[in-house]
Amino acid sequence: MSESLTFLGIESSCDDTAAAVVRHAPGAPAEILSSVVDGQTALHAAFGGVVPEIAARAHAERLDLCVEQALAESGLRFGDLDGIAVTAGPGLIGGVLSGVMCAKGIAAGTGLPLVGVNHLAGHALTPRLTDGLAFPYLMLLVSGGHCQFLLVRGVEEFTRLGGSIDDAPGEAFDKTAKLLGLPQPGGPVVEVEAKAGNPRRFAFPRPMLDRPGCDMSFSGLKTALLRARDALISAQGGLTRQDRADLCAGFQAAVADVLAEKTRRALALVRDETATPVLAVAGGVAANGAIRAGLQAVCAAAGARFLAPPLRLCTDNAAMIAWAGIERFRAGARDGMALSARPRWPLDKTSPALIGFGKKGAKA
Amino acid sequence: MRPDPLILAFDTSAAHCAAALLSGKRLVASRLEPMEKGQAERLMPLLEEVLAEAGAGWRDLAALAVGTGPGNFTGVRIAVAAARGLALGLGVPAIGVTRFDALALGLPEPVAVMEDARRGEVYLRDGDAPARMAVLEGLEVGAPHRVGSAAGDGALAPLYPLAEAIARVALGRLGSEQPRPAPFYLRGADAAPPSDPPPVILP
Repeated sequence: MSESLTFLGIESSCDDTAAAVVRHAPGAPAEILSSVVDGQTALHAAFGGVVPEIAARAHAERLDLCVEQALAESGLRFGDLDGIAVTAGPGLIGGVLSGVMCAKGIAAGTGLPLVGVNHLAGHALTPRLTDGLAFPYLMLLVSGGHCQFLLVRGVEEFTRLGGSIDDAPGEAFDKTAKLLGLPQPGGPVVEVEAKAGNPRRFAFPRPMLDRPGCDMSFSGLKTALLRARDALISAQGGLTRQDRADLCAGFQAAVADVLAEKTRRALALVRDETATPVLAVAGGVAANGAIRAGLQAVCAAAGARFLAPPLRLCTDNAAMIAWAGIERFRAGARDGMALSARPRWPLDKTSPALIGFGKKGAKA
Repeated sequence: MRPDPLILAFDTSAAHCAAALLSGKRLVASRLEPMEKGQAERLMPLLEEVLAEAGAGWRDLAALAVGTGPGNFTGVRIAVAAARGLALGLGVPAIGVTRFDALALGLPEPVAVMEDARRGEVYLRDGDAPARMAVLEGLEVGAPHRVGSAAGDGALAPLYPLAEAIARVALGRLGSEQPRPAPFYLRGADAAPPSDPPPVILP
């Protein structure tokens, strides 16, 4: 189990079609030989959010093209690879299915081994790809579809300490942008607007800070923003640019405060696990400057190291899937041609499910 | 003399996994397994069984043929994505065949292909006219012959089972440049722009 491994990774669980080639020899830093991400932002822009059927249609006709491009950019051929890793869930099932079937086809056609990867594990193991981080560490995954604290103890060993019981923050940023007439995706534009705004003008709630633990809620915040917006519209017939900037600043400050306080609690929970605590972040929301500054301040106060992989490896990508595939493969994981695509697939199978995800069980 | 080309065809565009293996014009193996779900798990093992039955392996294939629908969106994508992955991995062409071409194969022309699309609608290709969705009730077609699950009394029977027909259509196209298989959709994606307008931004 000490040989160099080169894996193709395939990712299609939301609105990015991605393929990447990653190589790793034990004792050396991992090398990302290529990482292709074909985004679908323009396809979904008119709808104010990702439309599952539109995403599924795009993935089915782009996956093999992305794989070809990733191989070409890496300068390798299938014969140079040691395996194929593919996101097998959780996510929008139409896209996950296409990715899994494309990967099975490639694996069957080349004879290479196939490893199914949990998308969340891809994010959670990224600090090991980028920084060679040792277990255990605390992970905050905060994106358009996910929000959870994970204690990462091993390649297959995750304990969820808490998470959002309803919307993910990235989703709340998108909805905020939509409510204020700003373009999608909402994260970057709301952040730009917020720079010109007064975060104290609107008293937005900090949901669930009064409750113990690391669970969070963001749907009430969105409703509060809608009420504040509608009050302004009924009073003056619309929003001024300053109103909009102030609303963005107030919303962003509330999200940043909640994430910072819950991170402080999560760090306290893992204090006994390690002498030198590390908080690693992943997901597009972690790129937000105000949120990141809040997390860094909490880490400094707790004596913890703050680790943020580069943005292109924080948002959805296939390098993290190839990497997680290498890690799982080294641990002995192999999947057959009957590998399932799973819309719901919690990383932590033992912690109680976050509420609000329906009777089919925990989503993630 | 070159051996007859081996073509593996498959289809998951409805509640089934169907496969057929053609050696030249000769059918050497075929399967049809009805299933409401589980095609993604079953398809590849089923294809391996079909190949094994004929004493062949993946590397023996000259081409893949895949049913592109119209049909169940998810089902069509399962087969098309697998075909494109296999084509890439094997370095052989994958040829997409619509359900219309498969059902009409070998029948007298012009023929109207009429397939049940649920919700009182049919997938219709009437002779040479472009395929479209049509309301079943009161539907009249121009072609003198009809085939398909919604073609009604007096319709012709397809000459071949679906997967075998897909393989035979692909055989006829072998050797000419083919586009990558893509799902053949007649219904649009179920999506609507947001209903509430954005707020007025005051000067």
